[in-house]
Amino acid sequence: MIILVYSIFLPVLGGLICLLIPNRVKILKEAIALIVSFVALVIGITIFKEKGAVFYRELGLLTQILGINLDLRVDYLNSFILMFITFFGFLITLYSLKFMSGKNRLNEYYAYLLINIGVANGAVLSNNLLTLLIFWDLVLICLYGMISIGGGKAASCSARKSFIIVGVADFLLLLGILLVWYMTRTFSIDVIKATLFTSVSFKISALAFICMACGALAKAGSMPFHTWIPDAATEAPVPVMAFLPASLDKLLGIYLLIRITSDLFIMPSWLGMILMFIGAFTIIAAVMMALIQHDLKKLLSYHAVSQVGYMVLGIGTGNPIGIAGGLFHMLNHAIYKSCLFLGGGAVEHQAGTTDLEKLGGLSRVMPITFVATLIAAFSISGVPPFNGFISKWMVYQGVIQSASSQVNQLTSFFCWIFLVAAMFGSALTLASFMKLIHSTFFGQPVNESPTTTASAGRESSTPIKEVNWTMWVPMAVLAALCVIFGVFAQIPLGKFIGPAIGLDFARIPRALSLSGLWSPTLATGLIVIGLIIGYLIYIIGKATKPRVDSIYIGGEVATEVHRFPGTQFYNTVKEIGGLSGIYKAAEKKFLDFYKWGMGFLKGVAYILFYCIDRFVDWLVLGVARLVLLFSWILRRGHIGALPTYLAWCLIGFGIILYVLVR
Amino acid sequence: MLIYVLCIILFAIGLYGIVVKKNLVKIIISFGILDYSVNLFFILLGYKRDGIAPIMMKGQDKAQFVAQAVDPLPQALVLTSIVIGLGITILMVAIAIRLYDKYGTFDVMKMRKLKG
Amino acid sequence: MQIIPLFIAVPLGAAFILAMLGKARHSLIDLLANIVTAFLLILAISVIGVKGTTTYSMGRWLPPIGIVLVLDGLSILMLVMVNLISFLATIFSISYIERFTAKAKFYAMFMLMIAGLNGVILTGDMFNMFVFLEIASIASYVLVAFGTEDEELEASFKYMVIGSVGGLFILLSIALLYGMTGTLNMAHLSQIIASKNFGIGLLFTSALLIAGFAIKAAIVPFHAWLPDAHPSAPAPISAMLSGVFIKILGIYTMMRILTNVIGIATLGRAWDIMLVLGAISMVAGGLLAIGQWDYKRLLAYSSISQVGYIMLAFGLGTPLGYLAALFHLANHSIFKALMFLNSGAVEYATETRDLQKMGGLSERMPVTGITSTVGTLSISGVPPFNGFWSKLLIIIAIVQAGRPVYAVIAILVSVLTLAYFLKVQRYAFFGKIKDTLMNIKEVPVPMCISLIVLAALCLIIGLDAFRIIQGTNASWFIRVMIEPAKEVLVNGTNYVKTILP
Repeated sequence: MIILVYSIFLPVLGGLICLLIPNRVKILKEAIALIVSFVALVIGITIFKEKGAVFYRELGLLTQILGINLDLRVDYLNSFILMFITFFGFLITLYSLKFMSGKNRLNEYYAYLLINIGVANGAVLSNNLLTLLIFWDLVLICLYGMISIGGGKAASCSARKSFIIVGVADFLLLLGILLVWYMTRTFSIDVIKATLFTSVSFKISALAFICMACGALAKAGSMPFHTWIPDAATEAPVPVMAFLPASLDKLLGIYLLIRITSDLFIMPSWLGMILMFIGAFTIIAAVMMALIQHDLKKLLSYHAVSQVGYMVLGIGTGNPIGIAGGLFHMLNHAIYKSCLFLGGGAVEHQAGTTDLEKLGGLSRVMPITFVATLIAAFSISGVPPFNGFISKWMVYQGVIQSASSQVNQLTSFFCWIFLVAAMFGSALTLASFMKLIHSTFFGQPVNESPTTTASAGRESSTPIKEVNWTMWVPMAVLAALCVIFGVFAQIPLGKFIGPAIGLDFARIPRALSLSGLWSPTLATGLIVIGLIIGYLIYIIGKATKPRVDSIYIGGEVATEVHRFPGTQFYNTVKEIGGLSGIYKAAEKKFLDFYKWGMGFLKGVAYILFYCIDRFVDWLVLGVARLVLLFSWILRRGHIGALPTYLAWCLIGFGIILYVLVR
Repeated sequence: MLIYVLCIILFAIGLYGIVVKKNLVKIIISFGILDYSVNLFFILLGYKRDGIAPIMMKGQDKAQFVAQAVDPLPQALVLTSIVIGLGITILMVAIAIRLYDKYGTFDVMKMRKLKG
Repeated sequence: MQIIPLFIAVPLGAAFILAMLGKARHSLIDLLANIVTAFLLILAISVIGVKGTTTYSMGRWLPPIGIVLVLDGLSILMLVMVNLISFLATIFSISYIERFTAKAKFYAMFMLMIAGLNGVILTGDMFNMFVFLEIASIASYVLVAFGTEDEELEASFKYMVIGSVGGLFILLSIALLYGMTGTLNMAHLSQIIASKNFGIGLLFTSALLIAGFAIKAAIVPFHAWLPDAHPSAPAPISAMLSGVFIKILGIYTMMRILTNVIGIATLGRAWDIMLVLGAISMVAGGLLAIGQWDYKRLLAYSSISQVGYIMLAFGLGTPLGYLAALFHLANHSIFKALMFLNSGAVEYATETRDLQKMGGLSERMPVTGITSTVGTLSISGVPPFNGFWSKLLIIIAIVQAGRPVYAVIAILVSVLTLAYFLKVQRYAFFGKIKDTLMNIKEVPVPMCISLIVLAALCLIIGLDAFRIIQGTNASWFIRVMIEPAKEVLVNGTNYVKTILP
């Protein structure tokens, strides 16, 4: 099946061509990028239909000595992931046409984008662990390049940071792969399949599992390997964030995690507990970090971390419904988070800033962006009937099932705690998105034009309007997918997720009714009916036609004091003034509690930020410092004195003599 | 055997001097001692008690000559070795004089511009 | 093969003539020196592909009595490397050495050094090897002190004392070998060592030899002279010293004597000391390099680190290990010579070696900037340049020999290498140009030629080596140059059969 090779090398070739085209010939480059990514999408869809296809070629010395061969296989799991990689690649390319135009280093940008599609395909298709690792690292190099495209010192700094953190995790992955080889003497995934954790080498297999899981988690951006995502978010162009951390890295990371947990290893429950703990912890810690962010892109990126928690939690349960939920959540997350980032990018492109305090009232001027972002925000918050709800629901069910199947009381108790944490995290997600939606799209527009503070190149008098079609089409497609995957969840579940983990979703309600009944279509119908009734009531109510006018404050100009930017939602008590009427009697007490609660949450968030969130940063910095320290110590040893140097020689001779004559 | 031990002691003295002494001249002298001890060792390898010069006379018995004559090869080698040692010593002295011009001292511990 | 002695005789004669030409015009001296090195390079290239072992008996005295010159695969590789680098170094010197006063003396010493190096490579006699080794060393002591400023003299003195002690170690071990076996011909020695059991005496001799050669090769902890001496020499000499000198005098001699004469089997388990020495050199050299701000001193420490790689691969004792060691040796000769010549070009243009005083040089010196980038990528092991393939082979060889810990160290040091060379690139060549450097311009044409040729070699060998994924012999360079050299090492003590029929 030569098409498998094409799926890898065609985008890479396209990328290299883009790299060679000078920046002046913009149209040609964009055309090539668009065409190549579209062809990649077609190939991806073709491969999706060609399950079981195999491409195998030996690579001479590399095969003989290192066991590296080009062994590409398609199965149910990677076929749909590959399709979605190419799908996102195409959408992002389309979006970039307008968004990136006029930016520097365009040829590099498109080159990295296309090469990234190719090598990601390679990583997913590889049946050989070493080739997988090589493609995996190429993805990392592309990530480095793409983040540093933002230009400036901060961008190269955060690019280096991402590179180091993910690079360290990849090194662990290499270690894990070597350990697996040590145990099984092969690198082929289909040979290794489920032969581990049964042998006597229990400790080694556990170590291998943890090392490989670290590699997968770092790619997916789970705690504690996540710090590069928020840092990169402010520096990298938005399409990069939508493409890599939001969709592609999740697809790859979770793909590998599923391969490890269900294919390579038979996961014992205690390792599952560790994964579940990481998942639950990631959900809570990252969402708390998101609550205190003031920047749109940074907020989104913390959610990109938080949502990984659900996937890891689902996969950690180890039961089919949980894994299916995790996998489905991965897919959904890629969809809605890309959509959110693209929406954020649209806002940035039009308004020139992503600072929530400087945005507002965009819903009127950017309706498509608004609707798409709203749908995606509902999805991520797990509001029915959107797709995020379905997958979260499945994860919850997986956790419940896991809790009830635990023999040990304690572990069962932990499972319940994880469940509560996940649900609580979902609530906090909704809260932070309320803030986002409010401060970006509702509220009053900022008096002074936001463009004066940022984006010097833009005419400050230009009114903000809806984005170009190449930018809103990808958003609209993704938002539509959010709805479709939510309302007709049986389609993705039956077509992609079910076969991938060998679970029969043909009769979806039966599979889902394992611990609860949920029929998405029926529920959606009910919700839609409810909405229609609500709207009717609204229409009736509107018959009175209240007069809408701008705020009247005695002829004074409305100043900053009269704006309600959403960033202050959770800062102080004032914002809940609307509630005061209802809780008049209990006002004092409630407010105290609220204040106390929010203060506590904020405190925890800050502590987490400095102790956990930046922990890996310190680690990376520490290694660099350690190297310099050793260097310093050694340099101090070279004092320039001849007798000392001669003494070293004699000592060295003594040691050699001892070793030889011993 | 004793003579070998003396040779090794000479070697050790040279090594001691070259490692411990700080004065350039003393270092050069120590190097000379070291060099001579190795040369001496080489000569001793070919040494025979009451040996004759390794020059074969006409009519001399071959077996008797081999038994009596000292080994000529080490002597030839040592000549070369001495020349090399001489060359190095001259160079060392020349550079030591130049160093004295630059640093105004023979103390090797004060010549530490290159370090780290 | 009547041309074998020419490798030694021609530069020796040229050294003599050049020393007499002290007052002659510089163009004449340049011409003569370059003709000699070019002739030697052509001579070296003409012996590529000579199969098997060719011997030349000096004065028709047959071995084991007389001195023989031996030309086999290993010698050919080394000869090509030495004469290639020396040719490019003399071309570089045409412009570079104008800054110094005594150009004729410089070339005379240079020729003496080449004669010594070629002699060490070709000779089949232990004591003869020592003589050539000392000739080359003395020439290098002089050349290090060539600037005759305080730092150069200081470096030369330290280098000379430590190097001479190393030479005495080797002389002592030769004396011991003679005392034990009664012969100095390498082949004959090997025969006798194999036939008798010398026990502890031979091990003591081996320890002396390893220590002596380790001093010449600047293996940690015998390395302390190198970071002083190599930066102090004029740039073409630094390129020679780091590029080929330490490898011929330290690594080649060690390979030749330990594998072909003494035999690895004699040392037994203690052979692992080579691995340890290599690993320590690798790590310590890398760590020391990253803290440097002097361009050439950084390169010198990096040489220690890279020689550690070669030692490590050689110490594995497997055929693939030998192959990787020789390949890396050849590659390192090329890119380290390139980088030292680069540093010379930078010093020539800016008159400083302090990285902090440079910046944005690529703008004004495009040739130097681009070739330096090529060198950086090569030495850090970035495909498709040659350094990548030799490091890959080293790591493969280590894994194959079943020593994964060393493989991990090798990979980590490779990362370290990339880090400190990126530092060089960033401070010297990238970024904005400093105001004080606005007037600099690209170096003269002869210097550029050397740089371009070396950079092109890095790329060509790297592209050629791409074919090793189809098997090592698919690559032309490895098949023709490295493979015969490896065979000599793999052959081990069977070396004797090729010389003494």
